[in-house]
Amino acid sequence: MNILVCLKQILDPEVPARDFSLARSHLQADPTCADLVTNIFCENALETALQLRDRHGGRISILSLGPASVEDTLRKGLAMQADAAFMILNDTGHLPDSAATAKALAAAIGKLDRLDLILTGHESGDWGAGQTGGLLAEELGLPFIAFVDEIEETGPDRLILRQQNDSGWQKFSAPMPVVASITNSDHNLPRIPKIRDIILANRKPITSWSLGDLELSPDLFLPEHLLVRVTELTIPQAKGDCAFIEGATKEEKIGKLAEKIAAIARSI
Amino acid sequence: MNTGEATREVFWNISHGWIMYVLLLPTMAIAAYGIWRRFRSWRRGLPVAGRLDRPGERLLHLWNHALLQRHTMRERYSGIFHAMIFWGFITLTIATTVVMLDHDFGLPIMRGRFYLYFQSFFVDLLGLLALIGVAMAGFRRWKTKPVKLVYSDEASWILILAAVILATGFFLEGWRIVVTADPWGTWSPVGYATGFLSAKFFSLDTLTALHRWCWWFHLILVFGFLAWAPFTKMLHPLTSALNIYAANLQPAGASLKTVDFEKAENFGVNRLDQFTWKDLLDLDACTECGRCTEACPAHAVGKSLSPRDIILDLRDTLHRKGGRNEPDTGLIGSTDALRPERLFECTSCAACVDACPVSIEQLPKIVDMRRHKVMEEADFPETMQQAISSLEKRKHPFAGTESSRTDWMRELNLPHASEAQDAEVLVWAGCGTSLVKRNQKSIRSLAELLKKAGVKFAVLGRDEKCSGDVARRIGNEFLFESLAKENIETLKKFNVRRVITSCPHCFNTFRNEYPQLGAPFETFHHSQFLGELIKAGRLKITAASERRIAFHDPCYLSRHNGVTEEPRALLQNTSRNSMRELPRNRRNSFCCGGGGGMSFVDEPPDKRVNRERAEEILATDADTLAVGCPFCTTMMEDGINAAKGDRGIEVKELAELLNEATSGPNPI
Repeated sequence: MNILVCLKQILDPEVPARDFSLARSHLQADPTCADLVTNIFCENALETALQLRDRHGGRISILSLGPASVEDTLRKGLAMQADAAFMILNDTGHLPDSAATAKALAAAIGKLDRLDLILTGHESGDWGAGQTGGLLAEELGLPFIAFVDEIEETGPDRLILRQQNDSGWQKFSAPMPVVASITNSDHNLPRIPKIRDIILANRKPITSWSLGDLELSPDLFLPEHLLVRVTELTIPQAKGDCAFIEGATKEEKIGKLAEKIAAIARSI
Repeated sequence: MNTGEATREVFWNISHGWIMYVLLLPTMAIAAYGIWRRFRSWRRGLPVAGRLDRPGERLLHLWNHALLQRHTMRERYSGIFHAMIFWGFITLTIATTVVMLDHDFGLPIMRGRFYLYFQSFFVDLLGLLALIGVAMAGFRRWKTKPVKLVYSDEASWILILAAVILATGFFLEGWRIVVTADPWGTWSPVGYATGFLSAKFFSLDTLTALHRWCWWFHLILVFGFLAWAPFTKMLHPLTSALNIYAANLQPAGASLKTVDFEKAENFGVNRLDQFTWKDLLDLDACTECGRCTEACPAHAVGKSLSPRDIILDLRDTLHRKGGRNEPDTGLIGSTDALRPERLFECTSCAACVDACPVSIEQLPKIVDMRRHKVMEEADFPETMQQAISSLEKRKHPFAGTESSRTDWMRELNLPHASEAQDAEVLVWAGCGTSLVKRNQKSIRSLAELLKKAGVKFAVLGRDEKCSGDVARRIGNEFLFESLAKENIETLKKFNVRRVITSCPHCFNTFRNEYPQLGAPFETFHHSQFLGELIKAGRLKITAASERRIAFHDPCYLSRHNGVTEEPRALLQNTSRNSMRELPRNRRNSFCCGGGGGMSFVDEPPDKRVNRERAEEILATDADTLAVGCPFCTTMMEDGINAAKGDRGIEVKELAELLNEATSGPNPI
C-alpha cells in the first residue's frame, strides 16, 4: 500500500500563556514566541500509517508545506521510519488558508506515484480549522472520511476506517484511494524514534518544491487571493478577582459564599 | 637463654617433605589457570582511558582502601571482622614467606628477636584475630543473617575452610611446642595453650602422630584453597585490589562515558563486549557484601532494583560465556535483576557506588543498559518518554508546565548575558527551578541575595536550555549531547566563564560533563558562592532566626561531588539554634527519589523514596528542612505532606533561608 501522510509544523501549543504573543500585524502569532513542533494529530496520522505498514507492508511518504523550518518536521517523520519526504517550500511569508493549502498539497500529490491512502491530522493545534483534509479530497476528487482513529485493510482495494463520534464510533468501508483525517486514540500515540534512525534520518534526501515547481501561481498565498482571511487576533485577558468571605460561624460564611455565587451566576 | 639463638626446626616430625614441593606445582598451575581465565575475559572489554594514569594517587588509594581497609571499615561489625581476617591472613602469608626464605633460600632470618617478636608472638596473635574474625563472620552468616548477603554454599565453604586452616595451624604449632618442649614456646601464646591443653588429654606419642597427619591435612587444605580460590569470590584479594587501583578518581558525577555518535556501532550496552575492561573487572571484584543494595533507596522502599544482583548476574554471565558473545541473546532482560523495568527504577543517586568498598561502579552500568533501551530500542517507561519528548520539542522536561523560563525574573530587572559584558558571573536557573512554580521563589531569593551583595551577574532567560542531565540519566545520550552543545555554544557566544546554579544536577553537568565535551566552566553551587560572599563580608547576617534546621544533602552535591560542608556552614549562620543532623547525612545521604528521571515517574504511594526520607526527617526535632536542589524541594515537600501526622516541617531552599537572615550594602 502506498500511503502519504501530510505533516504540519506549528507553534508549540503548550507554550506557557505568558510567553505567547502576537506578531506586530496582529494577524498571526509571533513565530518566535514558542518552539516549532509537529502538529500532534499529524503525528497520530503518521503513527497510524506506520502501524498499517507494520501489518501489511507498503511505503510511506510524508509531505509538508511551510517555510524552510519544516525540514525539522520531515526529519522527525523520517526518523519515525517514513520512507520518503517531500516539502513544498513556502518562502512567501504569507500564511495560506485551508483551501490554498489543499491546492498546494494536491499539486504536490500530482507529482507522486499513485497513492492508496492519504492521511492528514483532523485539525492543527494552531488555527484548528480542521478543513484541510476535506478540501484536499475535494481537490483530488477522492472520498473523504474525517475523525478516523483506526484503519484496517480488508482486501486488495478496500479499507475499513473507524470514525470517532460523540457517542462512540462507526466503521466505513471505502475504496482506495481515499483521504482520511486522523484523530488521536490510545493506540496511535506517536512512537519515539530510535537514535540510530534519527541519525540516519539526517542523511536522507528530502525533495523540495517551490510553488513554481508545482506549476502554482506565486500569488497563491497572497491574502487577497485567499478564500478565508484573518482580520484581527486578540489574546483574551484573564482577569482574576479575590475576595475573602468574612463571618463569625462556618454557617454564616457558607451562606454568604452561596449568595455571592448566585449573584455571579445571575450577572453572566 | 640467649634470645639471639631463638628459632624453630622447619619440617619437624615430617618426612618426605619434598612431596609438598611436588604438590605446589599443580596447585600453582590450577590457580594460574583460574586467574588467566578471568584476565582473558576482562580483555574482551573495550579500552577505556584514565584508569591506569596517576600511579601515585592510585597507590595511595590502594594503601587506604585495600591495605588499611578504610572503606570496608565504614560498616562497623563487618569492617572489623574483615580487617581481622584480612590482616591475619596477610601476616600468616608473610610468616610462611619468611619460613620459605629461611629454609629454602638459606637466608637466616627466622632467628633471634625477629623470630620471637614477629614470627612467634605477632603471627600467633594475628592468627588468633583471624580466627575470631572468621567466627564473627560465621556468626553473621549463620545466626544474624542480614538480607544483603548472598547465602551460597561457596561462601559457607570458604568460611569453614578458613576456620579449619587456622585451627589446624594452631594445633600444629601447639603440638610441636609441647612435644619438643620448645624453650621459646610461650612466645606463641595461643599455640602454647593449645599444646598445653592437648597434652592433658593425649600422650606425647599420640600428639606426635597426630601432628604428622594434621600437617599433611593442613597442607592439603591450604593448597586446595589456593587452587580453588580463583574460581570463587575468594579471588577478590586480587581482583578487588586491581579494581581499587583502577578506580574512578574523578568525582562520581563524572563517571558516565561519552559516546562518539559518528563512529559508535552500538549505543549503550546489551552485550558483554560493549562494556569496558574496567566494567568487566568490576564484576569479578565483587565480594557479594551487599552494601550497594542495602544503600539503594529504590530497594529500600520495596522496589525490585538491586545493584548487587545486577553486578552478580552480569558476573555469572561473564563466567558462563567467558566474555564471548552470543549476538542473539542480550543481557537486558536475561535475568531477573536485569529486567528493564528494574533498570528504570534507579534514581542515579550513586549510593551504591559510594557504598562499595572495592570501587565497583554500578551506576554507569545501569545507565549504559538504559542507553541501549532508550537509544537502540526506544523502549522505556512512558512517563520518561514524555519528559524526553518535551526535552526534544521544548528543551525542558516539564511537559505541560504553565511557567515560562522568565517568570521568576519578572520585576527584578536582571541583565541578559548579551548585554552584561561586565558581569562577574552567570546565574544559571535550570528548568527545575524556573519552570516549577514553587522553586521560582528560591531562585528569586538567590537573585536578591546577589543584588544585596552587589554582585554583578547576568542571566540567559529564554536562551537557557536544559543542561541535559535528565536526558543523560534516562539514557538518551544523543539528546544530552545536543542540548549540551547548544548551551555551550550560547555560553561561548556571550563569553561566559563562571556559572552559579542552585541546581546540583546542572552543577554536576557544568562541572563534570561539559568539560568532557571540551567546555570547562568555573562552576559554583550557590551554597559555595554565597558562603564566599559571607566570608568576604559582602553579605551580613542581621536577622538570624530561631529555626531548628536539618539539611537534606542532595545526591548530586554530596555523593556525586563531595560538597557537604559549604551548605552547612551557610545554614548555621542563618539560625541561632544549632543545626540538626539527619541520621543519614553527607555522603551517606538518602535520596529524595527525584534523580535519574524518576521525578517524572508516577510511583505507587507505598514505594516512594521521598516518603521514606520524610519519615526520617519527621523523627528528628527539626522544624525546617533545608534543601539545596529544586528536585529535592518538590520531592521533599510532597513527601512531608504525605507523611506528616500532627507535625509539619517547613521545606526551605537554602537561598530562601539566607535571604531571610541577611542584609547587604545594597538595597534590593
